[in-house]
Amino acid sequence: MKQTRRSLIRKTLLAAALASAGLAASGIAQAQARDALQFATLLDFTRVYTFLTNEYSQGQQDYIKLVNAEGGIDGHPVRLIIKDHASYPERGIAQYNEAKAAGALFFDFLSTPVANALMPRANEDRLPMIAFAHGRADAADGQAFPYVFPSAAIYRSQAALHLQYIDQHEGGLKGKKIAFVHIDSPFGKEPIELLNKVAQTKNFEVKLFPYPVPGTEQAATWSEVRRYRPDKVIIWGAGPGQGVSIRGALGNGIPAKDIHSVVWLSESDMQSFKGNEVVGVKRVTLVGTGTDSPILKRINQKVIDAGNGTGDKAKIGTTYYNIGVASMAMTVEAAKLGLKKLGAPLTGEKLKQGYEMLKDYDAEGLMPKLTFTTQDHQGGGWGRISEWDGKQWAPKSDWFNAYQDVVWDLIKEDQAKAQKK
Amino acid sequence: MFYRLSGTHHTRYAQTRQLWPIPADRWQIGLLLALALAAPFYMSELYLSSYMLPWLVFSAATLALTLLMGLAGQLHFGFAAVMAIGAYTSIHATRAGVPFELALLLAGLVAALIGCLFGAAALRVKGLYLVMATLAMQFLVDWVIVNVNVISGGAVATLQTPQVSFLLIPIDTLQARYYLALLWTVIVSVLILNIKRTSYGRALVAVRDKDFAAAVIGVNIFRYKLQAFFTSSFLGGVSGAVLAFCFYQAVTPSQFNFDVTIQLVAMALVGGLGSVVGGYLGAGFVLLAPIVLLNLIARLVEAGWLNVSTSLMAHIPLMLYGAMIIGFLLFEPLGLAKIYDNARKYLLVWPFRHTQS
Repeated sequence: MKQTRRSLIRKTLLAAALASAGLAASGIAQAQARDALQFATLLDFTRVYTFLTNEYSQGQQDYIKLVNAEGGIDGHPVRLIIKDHASYPERGIAQYNEAKAAGALFFDFLSTPVANALMPRANEDRLPMIAFAHGRADAADGQAFPYVFPSAAIYRSQAALHLQYIDQHEGGLKGKKIAFVHIDSPFGKEPIELLNKVAQTKNFEVKLFPYPVPGTEQAATWSEVRRYRPDKVIIWGAGPGQGVSIRGALGNGIPAKDIHSVVWLSESDMQSFKGNEVVGVKRVTLVGTGTDSPILKRINQKVIDAGNGTGDKAKIGTTYYNIGVASMAMTVEAAKLGLKKLGAPLTGEKLKQGYEMLKDYDAEGLMPKLTFTTQDHQGGGWGRISEWDGKQWAPKSDWFNAYQDVVWDLIKEDQAKAQKK
Repeated sequence: MFYRLSGTHHTRYAQTRQLWPIPADRWQIGLLLALALAAPFYMSELYLSSYMLPWLVFSAATLALTLLMGLAGQLHFGFAAVMAIGAYTSIHATRAGVPFELALLLAGLVAALIGCLFGAAALRVKGLYLVMATLAMQFLVDWVIVNVNVISGGAVATLQTPQVSFLLIPIDTLQARYYLALLWTVIVSVLILNIKRTSYGRALVAVRDKDFAAAVIGVNIFRYKLQAFFTSSFLGGVSGAVLAFCFYQAVTPSQFNFDVTIQLVAMALVGGLGSVVGGYLGAGFVLLAPIVLLNLIARLVEAGWLNVSTSLMAHIPLMLYGAMIIGFLLFEPLGLAKIYDNARKYLLVWPFRHTQS
């Protein structure tokens, strides 16, 4: 009896082992047919960039699920490596090295300190990275940073969009007094040189009003802004600081329609205000919002309705969600082009060249038509001005770009300075 | 039994007062040193560059801080600023053509001078008030670096380290950078081990325990407090420079912000104040535990054993990490070094139960 039981156990074990070996073998066979492409999105879920990371990553994951549901990139499924680096550069570097060793071809950090720390490494390792509208400004130059793609209007271009919009739609820039209220960090200070340069040629006045990091306390700054009596206010911050800025402006008698903001101002920031007091606030929009574009419709159909959605359904179509979708859409398109024109297997270099082959790519109407070249990794600096109408960001203009000559002069100046040192 | 104390007879003062009088300790140190020296040969590039290297440099920084906080008892909440001064000094000096070896010394000197300036506050205030004074240093230095373009490099705000060589060896490969960091960490460790058994170290301890009592027995508090700030800031400055050149290979203000200060203080506290082993253990714990936990959770999620959202997946390691810190401090308030010490003392006389010291 004992004997038989033991042999029975042995047989079952053997069968299980065989079955698992078979499974593994079939898995290998599938993988050999079409290897998964690995993209690493190493983000900050827990510390500084929490205000957008969840929605952004949700958009990225949903879009990649859509790509995989539609057959992948030329048959290759895409696998996302998602980790939290909490904006600590040393942790970001460790995760970058790990993902690189695991075979990741593409990186997204969504954190200025981590992105800045890794830009030189990505260049050295020939692995492309996206730094959507953040990171150091001169990375827009593909000659200086061949593997870094800001992939959207950098901050200087965004400030330029506001200036041009005021010039053309709000009674001209000449003689205006513009208050630039910004967080006192490299990010907040980036547009200053552009504002000053354009101010000289267009004859308007710019005054700077910095407030201290992290931006939750701005009362002193805004009472100074009130004394200056500006015609327009441009606010430059991110996360919770933005709501504080708008509250400060409204409390100091600046009408909502005269407030212009950098791209980081989301639906939830605006919904925290009651009633109609913030209707009329303007913001740069780099990727369309809402769920009307074909990609978002397909995500709703094939991912969300199929029960595979990543997170809260209410967040689909918000600003940051759509930016996440757009970041991955560009990358997937670049990977497609790279594979098609340069052949398998896809490498970091081919993906980079694929990015530079993107021409008038607008993610099926989700974003402006962006064209990347070996020189321009910003894609032309396109965007539009939207206005908060109480429910959503309503477009007030078509996609346009502005003062790109000034933007590029400044980039060249930065590089000259960096080289001189 | 493990330490085999029987048969170890010291016949000279020099023998009994050496750094590690027990042969078993010397064996352990030798083994660890050999392991560290051989690391590039058995460790993958990933582990060497992302775990070993930052661990070593942060250990050196923690040791520099523990000299000040643990030995001299002066609380310092601006140590990342000290490292920042060192990093920026070294990078600007090498860019100006100063040889790297001199630039490292210069980094230490400038950091020490500015550190002393703020340390002077320690002559008047103690405890929490000193924390405020050094906190002011952190924010002032941060502000100056961000706002003075000559230092930070302007809106671009990332300075890449130039190609340098140390004693004719070019610091361009991972191995070279690793050995330089190892060298520096060993120097700092040996220095602090030795400081602890000199009159200088004993004076610092006297100042820590009660400064006016120290004055009564003839210790010049003015001199020793400032010297403590000077030495510690010098080591911190060079550590900052080594961190910039060996690990980050670039400098931005955010690499040395207030959070890094908190991390360093946590390293010194969790490791055990004033202990050299504690410096290593604390730095390792604070630096590597979150990464290890994160990888563990990520693997569990990937294997399908844990079904949570991406955001929660990122937060679980933080909860575990917090619980671990509380757990360790409840278990042994004197830090990881004390846990090591308890284990060592237990094994010293094992299988018997009583320890001598």
